[in-house]
Amino acid sequence: MASYLLLQAANGVVVGLIYALAAAGLTLIFSVLKVVNFGHGTLYMLGGYAAFYAIRLLGLPPALAVVAAMIALFLFGIAFERLFLTPLYTDKVERKDEYAIIVTFGLFMLLENAAIVVFGPFNRSAPSFVRGAVHLGVLAITYDRLIAAGAAIVLLVLLSLFMTRTMIGRVLDAVSQSREAAAIVGIDARRYYAVAFGIGAALAGGAGALIGPIFTLTPTMGDLPSVKAFIIIVLGGMGSVPGSIIGGVLIGVVEAIGVAIYPDADRALAYSSAFSALLLVFMLLVRPTGLFGRRHMRME
Amino acid sequence: MNRLKGIFLLASSAVLIAGAALAADDTVKIGWVGPLSPPGGYSAGKEMKWATQLAVEEENKAGGILGKQIEVVYEDTKGTPDQGTAAMEKLVNSDKVAAVVGEFHSSVALAEIAVAHKYGIPWIGTDVWADSITAKQYPEVFRVSPANSLIYSIVGNWVVESGFKNVAIMQEATDYGVGAVAVLKGILDQKGIKSNVITVQMSQQDFTPELLRLMNVNPRPDLLMMIIAGEAVYPIIKQACEQGFAPSKDTAIYSGGGPSLEKELWETTGDCAKYLISEDVALPTAQWNDVAKSFSANFQKQFDRPPTGTAMESYDDMKIVAQAIRDAGSTDPKAIIQALEKIKYKGTRGDYGFSTESSPAWAFHQFMKAPIMLIQYDQVKQSPDQAPILYPRDWATSKDIVMKPEK
Amino acid sequence: MGSDTRVKGAAIAVAGMAALLLPLGANDYLLHITIISIYYAVLASSWALLAGYAGQFSFAHMAFAALGGYTSALLVTQTGLPIPAGMVAGFLLSGVAGALIGFLCLPLGGPYLALFTLAFAVIFQLILIAEYQFTRGSLGLEVPALFGGRAGAAYYYFALGLLVACLLAMNLLVRSRLGLFLRAIREDQEAAEACGVGTAGCRIIVFTLTSAIAGLAGAFYGHYVGILTPNLVTIPEMGLVVAMAVLGGIESLTGAVIGAIVIYVASEELRQVGQLRFLLLGAAIILTQRFAQNGLIAPFVFRAAQAARQRPKAAEGAARSV
Repeated sequence: MASYLLLQAANGVVVGLIYALAAAGLTLIFSVLKVVNFGHGTLYMLGGYAAFYAIRLLGLPPALAVVAAMIALFLFGIAFERLFLTPLYTDKVERKDEYAIIVTFGLFMLLENAAIVVFGPFNRSAPSFVRGAVHLGVLAITYDRLIAAGAAIVLLVLLSLFMTRTMIGRVLDAVSQSREAAAIVGIDARRYYAVAFGIGAALAGGAGALIGPIFTLTPTMGDLPSVKAFIIIVLGGMGSVPGSIIGGVLIGVVEAIGVAIYPDADRALAYSSAFSALLLVFMLLVRPTGLFGRRHMRME
Repeated sequence: MNRLKGIFLLASSAVLIAGAALAADDTVKIGWVGPLSPPGGYSAGKEMKWATQLAVEEENKAGGILGKQIEVVYEDTKGTPDQGTAAMEKLVNSDKVAAVVGEFHSSVALAEIAVAHKYGIPWIGTDVWADSITAKQYPEVFRVSPANSLIYSIVGNWVVESGFKNVAIMQEATDYGVGAVAVLKGILDQKGIKSNVITVQMSQQDFTPELLRLMNVNPRPDLLMMIIAGEAVYPIIKQACEQGFAPSKDTAIYSGGGPSLEKELWETTGDCAKYLISEDVALPTAQWNDVAKSFSANFQKQFDRPPTGTAMESYDDMKIVAQAIRDAGSTDPKAIIQALEKIKYKGTRGDYGFSTESSPAWAFHQFMKAPIMLIQYDQVKQSPDQAPILYPRDWATSKDIVMKPEK
Repeated sequence: MGSDTRVKGAAIAVAGMAALLLPLGANDYLLHITIISIYYAVLASSWALLAGYAGQFSFAHMAFAALGGYTSALLVTQTGLPIPAGMVAGFLLSGVAGALIGFLCLPLGGPYLALFTLAFAVIFQLILIAEYQFTRGSLGLEVPALFGGRAGAAYYYFALGLLVACLLAMNLLVRSRLGLFLRAIREDQEAAEACGVGTAGCRIIVFTLTSAIAGLAGAFYGHYVGILTPNLVTIPEMGLVVAMAVLGGIESLTGAVIGAIVIYVASEELRQVGQLRFLLLGAAIILTQRFAQNGLIAPFVFRAAQAARQRPKAAEGAARSV
């Protein structure tokens, strides 16, 4: 029984790390712009399709396609922020929270339906990174999953280093703590919002591109991961990258174990997903800042 | 402020009334319902639409019906019952169709026939299997595909005769899934064969936890059956294969409901669908009549793939409706229904006629001789008409009742 | 002053006549889409009250509608309760659930509230799907019809009555002191509290009322369409309601009603283009927020109301100058 649970957990960890990558982008956007990006799932989905078409139309090898997807999403993120989120930091908009929620929700509707129209609703399978699998007892973990999880870890570590070691990263960190304080030391936050959104989008796109070979690509593939991302950032704490990693792994493991041990097979899956959502609810009530987050800063 | 509201309502009503009034009178309109986008089984829906288009082209080229061309109004019902209701309301009241054909999902069909029955419009189901659809015995409702009781008694018998002892079933919680599993389990329980049922969600992507759970059952199942009519089938097959669960020498894999007949199967599962067992609602190629052969050739030429049993049902369905309208001499719904009850039509799947028996309840207006057989792919990228037939044994082209891979 | 009321009265009479006479000129399909658009109008306006007017951004609205719908349907089919009683039960239960959620949400604001209610909606949908042996989940729950047979006109008048009643109730709230408090809370909750506003009570009340109304709308929908599925609670459905309120003018109840009708009728007309219509809706939301945050329809409504008020003053001015 123990080995069975361990196997389920192992699978959960792998999947959870990929969700964590998507969540990291979301948490970065939140910490710097103070916006919960309800369109994050569609950025993830676009990344998957970008990689798919990079392979198919440009002939790139899968690993480069992931990079290409991230670059594409980075540019898209910057463009979107410049065009539609700039009113957030002028005084022209009265209700900033509401504006952000509605605009990013509109992005979700736009992108998902655009994807259905442009790419078609059909399932597609992106080509494998490496075929074959590694066997842990009776569980087979495909190399694709391992590579995706590994890449997720690498990207998350790079993100952490970026935030703490590079100039831009530290500027973003400063802005996320307090826009006014940053202004006092001479940082014009507005110039960096676009970068932050771009990086967040790139991370989501990277997660989607890594997932491509594992699950099928469909225009709605981002819906479930976006809910998971919301749960993860609340769990881990908004603005905390290590929190996203831990949150992601936690969610992945909890859901896998839930399916494993819930006595009623019929309901096992539905209630495992519900349990994660319940965790979100619980965290919001008990400790909204999550495990590692800072006190919530309202939009100034 | 209410003035604006009132003016607006008036304006929109005027526009819509005008639109409805301008509806053309010089074609015979027939409605088509089916899934063309998720969460419905859109690969099958797409194929059904193509087959219908082919049928209509042929009919129109030959002069149409009652001297008029046929015009089909296609409605995407997405595999959701409320879309089915909405589509029917529009087809019946706005497009004023003479009859409705199509549908691939039983739960949606049940919503649609309620509307058909309300307005008395004939509805001929193409590929919907739940018994309850014809068991309700609405006079308007007919069906060209087999019913769950027909299909799953055959599948159940195959399971028994093949000697499986321990079956794992993944079902979708719809009228098709639940109904099919009920029939299947009835047979399995009777013969003392162990079965384990798990419900899956259509929107899932990762089935590994459930597959691991099934693999952990002791003893391990020797047959994995998927009673799922949606695209979720493809990831399950791929992941079951990655896990080395099925198809393997210890565990066979079966998929019912239609997606396993489509070309998309190979695109998303790669080599994993080799040794997949499926049922097919067509006749074995050895038994094809001239209608079947010419349809198959035309379909292959126009759409670059051989038609599946689902496509054949769709083609026959439209042709039957055209024939019925001809026999009735009018587009009056009651006349069409009467004509359908008496119809004799030679189609790609044999000689059609609808039963008027009411026992068993689902026999009412059911095409009782609907063919059903089990096939197994033994080569990658194989099409269903090339696959060896496992069952019924007097149709079988395969020596073994089930083929097992070497490892 | 007197002529202002007369103008308004005349306008209401004209609109009322048009609305009442609609079934005479309309075919079944037109009635059907009008009724469904009224259903959405009730949802959009109640959501506008909650999110736009009171500033509580809830994504659980459709969950309350579904709760009302399923409650009524299950009570009527399982216990033989008459349909009107079932609908009242749906209304009450959704109200209670709304009160509960409103209470739980008290420490939350802005995006946290949105996430919380989103999670609640997700959980509720999963329960509906998982407990399919009771709710029939994705199979669809058959709901007994409120009026038998082809009673399009009856349903239409019922829906119209429902809409008018809900709008009256919500308007009463908006014009009362509670309405003033809600606006204060929306602008700055801490300041409102400092001025002595009982923010907790106000928030719970508005949640209760709007959720109850959503539940009633859901119950009507079930007994009209005849079938309920968990698809009622999906994010795209919620998005549709949000779009209707945003485009109509999130602070204006009338704007939301008109927005709902316009969008629903337009989306039905655009069925040929399929998914493109939702794409356009998404684009419209983004553009409206960016360039016309008060909505597209509400400004006309306000201007019309202002114009009606200016006319008698102009007349007075003219009279005086003579």
